[in-house]
Amino acid sequence: MEYKAPTEEYTGVVREVTIGKGRKSLKIGGENILPFHFFDKGSNPNPVKFALEVLDMEPQDWPEHLIQPFKNVIADPVKWAKKCEELGADAVFLRLVSTDPAVKDSSADEAAALAKRIAEAIDIPLIIYGSGDDKKDAEVLPKVAEACDGMNLLIGPVQKENYEVVGKALLDHGHNASALSPLDINLLKELNVKLCKFFPAEKIVIDPEAAALGYGMEYSFSLMERVKQIGIITKDNMTMMPLIADLGGECWKTKQAKEDKEQGLLWEGITALSFLLAGANIIVFRHPETSSLMKKITEVK
Amino acid sequence: MVIIGENIHVIAQAVSTAIRERDARVIQDLAKAQTEAGADYVDLNVGPMKKDTEETMQWLVNAVQEATDLPLSIDTLNPVAMEAGLKTCKRKPLLNSASGKSLSKEQMLPLAQKYSCDVVISVMTDKGMPPDVESKIESIMDTVAYANELGIPNENIWVDPILLPISTAGEGQRFTVINLEFINILEDVLPEIKSTVGLSNTSNGVPDELRPPLNRTYMVMLERNRLHSAIADPLDKELISLTKGGMPEIVELIYRTMDGEDIALSSLSQKEIEYVKTAKVLMGETLYSDAWLES
Repeated sequence: MEYKAPTEEYTGVVREVTIGKGRKSLKIGGENILPFHFFDKGSNPNPVKFALEVLDMEPQDWPEHLIQPFKNVIADPVKWAKKCEELGADAVFLRLVSTDPAVKDSSADEAAALAKRIAEAIDIPLIIYGSGDDKKDAEVLPKVAEACDGMNLLIGPVQKENYEVVGKALLDHGHNASALSPLDINLLKELNVKLCKFFPAEKIVIDPEAAALGYGMEYSFSLMERVKQIGIITKDNMTMMPLIADLGGECWKTKQAKEDKEQGLLWEGITALSFLLAGANIIVFRHPETSSLMKKITEVK
Repeated sequence: MVIIGENIHVIAQAVSTAIRERDARVIQDLAKAQTEAGADYVDLNVGPMKKDTEETMQWLVNAVQEATDLPLSIDTLNPVAMEAGLKTCKRKPLLNSASGKSLSKEQMLPLAQKYSCDVVISVMTDKGMPPDVESKIESIMDTVAYANELGIPNENIWVDPILLPISTAGEGQRFTVINLEFINILEDVLPEIKSTVGLSNTSNGVPDELRPPLNRTYMVMLERNRLHSAIADPLDKELISLTKGGMPEIVELIYRTMDGEDIALSSLSQKEIEYVKTAKVLMGETLYSDAWLES
């Protein structure tokens, strides 16, 4: 008798989100199978994407081996972003770290102007994150959204404390929202429910927080896995969004990654690989070598 | 459903001050209000009661007994306070609570036998909280067997599966589902046994105004699964009405939701929709969030 392997068919479909416009665009999500379940019925039309991170100021605490790939451009965020493009990134992830009141408290206008310059200078899509300070982000992100009006960028983090003001600005200027909640599926769903009262669900990406290996990675892993399962298996409308794993910064602030290049690449790589398996749709790296290696791994057939 | 009124609780500032200052009126008002609202027992949750233990407990029990004829549930982990309380009760009290922990088996269960009172026994053991239905059943069977050997019959035992907050990150819903199932099979494995839950625990950590719908709906669901009693807030009129037969349509609606019926929300009132949505999060069908009524 012929053996036929059992296959599953699911009812949920992750919403497909387009970041950017025209040739400067990419798509994430759209899958109706669990991560790498290619044996089940369904498909993932958009393989995972890889973004490289750029800061809006010269990094203060990066080890030499992380600066090295960008050493001639690291003082200029626009050149740095172009370099990421040359290195084969699918997208640039700009973090406006200098706007943090605890860093430089630089102004929303400065940040917005830089964001626009970068968006115009590169031929790949741009993701923009504020510093994570919810109050300051509520000033900065609306300005950024306005400066980049109509470019359909992915902007965040939209948080429980500022989703109304930031979400409205993103909506008014035609961008996608990256909704961040602190490692908790119930809070994550709550934020999506509240945001969706005025913001289209098809333009939301979930940022569940991506903790580094040895620093809580297993929590992020379980959470991403659960978000996918609840979306795809039980068809929960408020978790059927693509996931972003913003892990580069988390990995490269560990003692282990700072100590030694090889260790750092492994730290970032293993963290990324874990989140790939958990179902991340786009991953943010700091080191281009990790990003290339992961890309190679996912392309193996 | 036997309702054990939870409102005399040391966590409430007014109660702890009243006990400390021997202000009987505050306590008696709470006892009267719960009695009038339809409670079947009055719980006296006194905490560890480290100072003047016996004298304080006797004072409290006597003060409450002057205000109500209801039987009392003596709620403390301190065995000295417990014995002082049980001794002072005029009607057969409820010892709240014992567990499968060694210390509790040695100190609390013998008191239940000595005063031939009813006793709440939780599923906790020295190993902690059993994580699933099977291990909960296993733990409680061990502890009940131990109690039986001491001469405490099943009909005097009220098993507490220990409810945990539904909002506990990721895990909370798993517990609400497990406890529904546990209550459902309890009497099959331990005939004549009774059961109770700390109902309000389910909604701990949830914004205050959203707690009642969770407590009310879960009570109806547990009652359908043959829950004998709940430590709950009898001043919640809707809760009491649900259990005393005042809202049969809502109860029916919750049952239909539990049975997996595909209920058309558009034909329902706002209140009915809320009960359906709440039942769905409590049975684990939809993922919980504090915005569960809004989605």
